[in-house]
Amino acid sequence: MTTTSFTATIQDRVSRIDTMPSIPAVFLPLLELLNLPPENVKLDEVVKLVSYDNTIAAQCLRVASSPLFGLAKTPESIKGAVISLGLRRVETILLTCCLGSAFPSKNWALDPTIFWRHSLGCAMVCRKFSEKLAAPDTDKAYMAGLLHDIGFPVNCMVFPKEFAIATANATQAQIPLDEAERATMGFSHCETGRALAEKWHLANDLIQVIAFHHTPELCESAKPLVAMVHLSDLLCRMRNMGYGYYESRKVDLANNPAWAILLQEYRALEGIDLVRFTFELDEAAAEVFHLVSTIFGAGAAAGKS
Amino acid sequence: MTTAPQTASVPAKTEPVDPVYRQIRDLVYKVSGIYKADEKLYLLADGCVRRMKVMGAKSPRDYWDYLTANPSRDGELRQLLNEITIGETCLFRSQPQLDAVRKVILPEIVVEKTKQITKRLRIWSAGCSTGEESYTLAMNMMEESERLLKGWTVEILATDLNDRSVETAKAGIYGDYALRNTTDYYKRKYFTTLDEKKLQVRPEVKKLITFSRLNLQDDSKMLFMKGMDLIFCCNVLIYFDGSSKAKVVNHYYTNLNFGGYFFLGTSESLLNLNDKFHLVHFPGSIAYWKPSLSSGKL
Repeated sequence: MTTTSFTATIQDRVSRIDTMPSIPAVFLPLLELLNLPPENVKLDEVVKLVSYDNTIAAQCLRVASSPLFGLAKTPESIKGAVISLGLRRVETILLTCCLGSAFPSKNWALDPTIFWRHSLGCAMVCRKFSEKLAAPDTDKAYMAGLLHDIGFPVNCMVFPKEFAIATANATQAQIPLDEAERATMGFSHCETGRALAEKWHLANDLIQVIAFHHTPELCESAKPLVAMVHLSDLLCRMRNMGYGYYESRKVDLANNPAWAILLQEYRALEGIDLVRFTFELDEAAAEVFHLVSTIFGAGAAAGKS
Repeated sequence: MTTAPQTASVPAKTEPVDPVYRQIRDLVYKVSGIYKADEKLYLLADGCVRRMKVMGAKSPRDYWDYLTANPSRDGELRQLLNEITIGETCLFRSQPQLDAVRKVILPEIVVEKTKQITKRLRIWSAGCSTGEESYTLAMNMMEESERLLKGWTVEILATDLNDRSVETAKAGIYGDYALRNTTDYYKRKYFTTLDEKKLQVRPEVKKLITFSRLNLQDDSKMLFMKGMDLIFCCNVLIYFDGSSKAKVVNHYYTNLNFGGYFFLGTSESLLNLNDKFHLVHFPGSIAYWKPSLSSGKL
């Protein structure tokens, strides 16, 4: 197929993207709450929002009562969960549940458990990164990490055959999945993710992350955030939270162009102990695996680590 | 020596650990570069409890004082490091490191060296102890001898300060515990059965390795270890103080070929001992890279 016909195919499919998932009603208001300083968040508002969606509320309670959080008493209400676990943790759980419910994961070419582990792992690394760098908006970094790969579920749903070939090629050649997508389909999850992000009217910086997290030097704005997601994504893939296959590659983070972009914004990056950061990330991975197992069901728990 | 206090019990793996152990973890990392992640914190706690019994410390907090305020704190920290690193050795200890070597590093080195018309690979297992790592590397290189390393000469130098360890290593006899990660495939192919409980490494594997005694602080001898493509030095640097550690690491850097790699233990860091190495990540493992001349990253 020629490049022109490829482009035509994407445009055609993207124009019929109505078949793509719609954003859960509580997602954007929750996102707004996340952007508020914690002292301005009204607990009742969170509870009210969540009670709109019974499935999400039930999932949130299931997660909150998992042994991971070590609560002596299982919370019986969202309010109880917030009081026991803290607002930020509950928000994290809620947003993940929301996203999970947006993508019914039937017949995906990519194992949904693996996908969510990677997304949540990346979110967690972004948050850690931004805390270490004393970046102003750690919650934005978390969201950026959580959403950066939403193009993958889109590919699973809109381009199932082509994407299945791409994942098979990537696994066989042990190459990065975005490279295999481009080689096989002529485009990647960055373009399809962007289409969904725009359809969902996500904030522009999140759109930049979704569209350019593999090519941070090309993004139009929000460069430091995109660079942070790029590095976090790589780190996750090197620490057992990748796409579920062995990527035969070496990653030199400090000599990655994204590192230089981030360094321009945050001098604190110079002093970061990357090895210790990596070890700490492994610790947090246990929480991510558990969270994904709890949110996405018993099948997820059986996934290989 | 005081008797063991009743309060010092080994924390179970699932129990929440005393926050003091996290403080001790940070101290251990600062001094040695060894990091016990949360899921392995019980191992650190376990080691602390053993030392607490010896020292008569009544609680982790009490032991913290032994490690920080007591006049013999440096010695005690050394003892604790011994406790937490002992018994970690076995064959095939870190599969991610082996994968990195076979799937990423070897193809890279083969391309690089073929340009120089050299078909010789030199690996150094520094602080080889009783030989588990050296034999693991040898067997993995033999697996590549019909593929990537066809026509190549592989030399493995395995050194240790302790004569007895070197002798044990040369014998190459291992029991169940040391072989717990070794698959039947490797056992059948590279070992002979001595008795019900012991296997011995076959002579053709041994042929790849030269075992010898070496003091890593002996500068004149270290100068002769040049031309290495890979250096492994797992849980050895903990035995050196700051300045000698930096000197040893510097020797490693000098002794590596351009494009060579230096591996530490899986939870070990070089801290800030050498800024010429590039820290690189592979799936599940990290290493320090001496950039190749052609990479333009020197």
